[in-house]
Amino acid sequence: MDLKTLCEAQGVSGREEHIRRMVWDACAAKLGEDALALDGLGSVIATRKGSDPGKPRVMLAAHMDEVGLLVVSATEDGLLRFRALGGVDSRVLVSKRVRVGYDTPEKPALAGVIGAMAIHQQSPEDRKHVLPIEQLFIDIGAKDKAEAERMAPAGTLVTFDTPYTPFGEGLVYAKALDDRVGVWNLLNLLDAPYAGELVFAFTSQEEVGLRGATSAGYRVQPDIAVVLETTAANDLGEIPEALQVCRVGQGVCVSFMDTASLADSQLYRTMLALGKEKAIPHQVKQFVSGGNDAGALQRAGAGSRTVVLSVPCRNIHSPTSVCALRDMAAQESLTRAFLENL
Amino acid sequence: MDILTYLQGASTQFGPSGHEQPIAQWLKARFEPLCDAVTIDPLFNVLATLKPNTATARGGRAPKIILCAHMDEIALMVTEVLKDGALRMGNVGGVDPRILPAAVVTVHATGEGDTAVPLTGVIGAKAPHLLTDADRTQNYKREDLYIDLGLPVETVKKRVRVGDLVTLTGETIPLLNERAAGKTMDDRACIAVMLEAAERLARMKHAAEIVFAATTQEEVGCRGAKVAAHTVNPDMAIIMDVSHAPIPASKPDTTIPLDAPAIGYGPLLQFKLVDRIRQTAVKNGIRLNAEQLESRTGTDTDTVQIAREGIPSILVDLPLKYMHTTVELLDMNALRECGRLVALFAAEIDEGWDESLWI
Repeated sequence: MDLKTLCEAQGVSGREEHIRRMVWDACAAKLGEDALALDGLGSVIATRKGSDPGKPRVMLAAHMDEVGLLVVSATEDGLLRFRALGGVDSRVLVSKRVRVGYDTPEKPALAGVIGAMAIHQQSPEDRKHVLPIEQLFIDIGAKDKAEAERMAPAGTLVTFDTPYTPFGEGLVYAKALDDRVGVWNLLNLLDAPYAGELVFAFTSQEEVGLRGATSAGYRVQPDIAVVLETTAANDLGEIPEALQVCRVGQGVCVSFMDTASLADSQLYRTMLALGKEKAIPHQVKQFVSGGNDAGALQRAGAGSRTVVLSVPCRNIHSPTSVCALRDMAAQESLTRAFLENL
Repeated sequence: MDILTYLQGASTQFGPSGHEQPIAQWLKARFEPLCDAVTIDPLFNVLATLKPNTATARGGRAPKIILCAHMDEIALMVTEVLKDGALRMGNVGGVDPRILPAAVVTVHATGEGDTAVPLTGVIGAKAPHLLTDADRTQNYKREDLYIDLGLPVETVKKRVRVGDLVTLTGETIPLLNERAAGKTMDDRACIAVMLEAAERLARMKHAAEIVFAATTQEEVGCRGAKVAAHTVNPDMAIIMDVSHAPIPASKPDTTIPLDAPAIGYGPLLQFKLVDRIRQTAVKNGIRLNAEQLESRTGTDTDTVQIAREGIPSILVDLPLKYMHTTVELLDMNALRECGRLVALFAAEIDEGWDESLWI
């Protein structure tokens, strides 16, 4: 399974079935179907039994879902009204291509575009104000409301249409790097050496409130959960240093704290020490922002000790999020080193 | 001609205003099989001539018609290399900053030689997690946006020079109902209208000499067309450009319907010729809407009309949604009808066409 395939596949929160199928098949090939389970919210739980019951039960978690758009109705002239699923700044939507509906062999996704009033026709006031999502429309070329409703009924899911593209020195831009990067690394870690019980949780619905991780955490009850994520970087364009979160290309980012959880202090220190000892590029997340599955896993059932390893990501939740391949490799290496030393 | 294939090819050709050599060469090759002679002038206007294929009514001089549509595209240029390697940008033509956050661009880098090397860049956008109250209400200003080349600052400084051109990306995609969306439909779609018309005219009798002018520098003041009109020295001009089709935010009387051509009317547009092309449309069952243009048209008409001793001009509009974005959307049937209309109209023009034009 390569990252390109994972990123280009469609899997908005609550409708992760395409990703689920890929993950299931990849896990089944390595661990066998018997090791796999689906929970009540569609998270894939792959369990690797340990030979040493004295070792803690470790969960590695990454979320399958991506932010996207949801068709809610059609205008008289055949445009689609929509809402965001997950956090999307409406400023990234103007002049972008989208795929309306999911690609299946029977029915391919429709091409759509999000336009806006031409600059020639904007008033000086128009130019200043952000167009909220309620004033943006997806255009699939439908002639009228009836055709639009037939082709893309309310409830149709929409994803960004961005081919996974390497650029610069070792960077890629794509949609859904958050968190297909984590999913990809989880798949890369299926054979990681660890003698204790190791559970791989591919969670659903992170972007709409850490919902999949809540039930997955309850089911698995891990002693330790390591969340493989991406995080906003905010490192370019001469952003004041105090507002930068982390730096793309400078290694995997270890979070001390975000808005959803505080890292277990011992795990946090272990990660930093291992990074240093094994010379794995790493950095500390220096701005408290965002939240992820660790918030749910830490407090599921009787509680777990959690830590988050994130790949820095520019333009996160936009059609063209940007990550560095070496940061992804560092995320995998540090997770592997952690398991080896546990 | 397969219009979608043409649009997909045309939109990937390089041609910011003032730098149209590549698109001019590409267009020259498109006109050559259809026309008798094709030249490129010093401003990179492509002038493709179709000689008359029938004698004039009284055996006198053949009238000469220029058809104009512009080839140049709006673009950006590098204005500053920041300390972290990101690039600030300025406009070449009217780029709306609203389309830029999270857009993919190509920086044509000349730091290591005059032959530009294309570098892929992404325009930065703030994470939703980090938005301030101001971010939620205020648009990005172009001066705050930056291009990320994914390169270390030293490399950027070596490869990129201030002044390097930056083009937008946006491959042309087909939509429902023969519609298509992409960049540079403004105005390369109207060059498709000219190619359609050239194909038709080759099979029709026409007493006029017809010169198709794919013009340059329209987006910075219709400058190429001024020179083209001088060189061609035509008796009449038909300008083709895109105009706004309605979207939900449109104000009344500022748009034309998407699915049919329109004819401009107003002081700059020769009233008898406007009437005449309307009759051509009626006779041939072509739906033709109208757009009022009470002053300057914002098209090549504005400079062509006043070239030399004055050129009676009309403006045929191809409707388009989302102008100056990378998802400019049009109806390919309307495009074909535009081509049919101007071909039929040009074929009607014969000696004596200008009798009682003004009085």
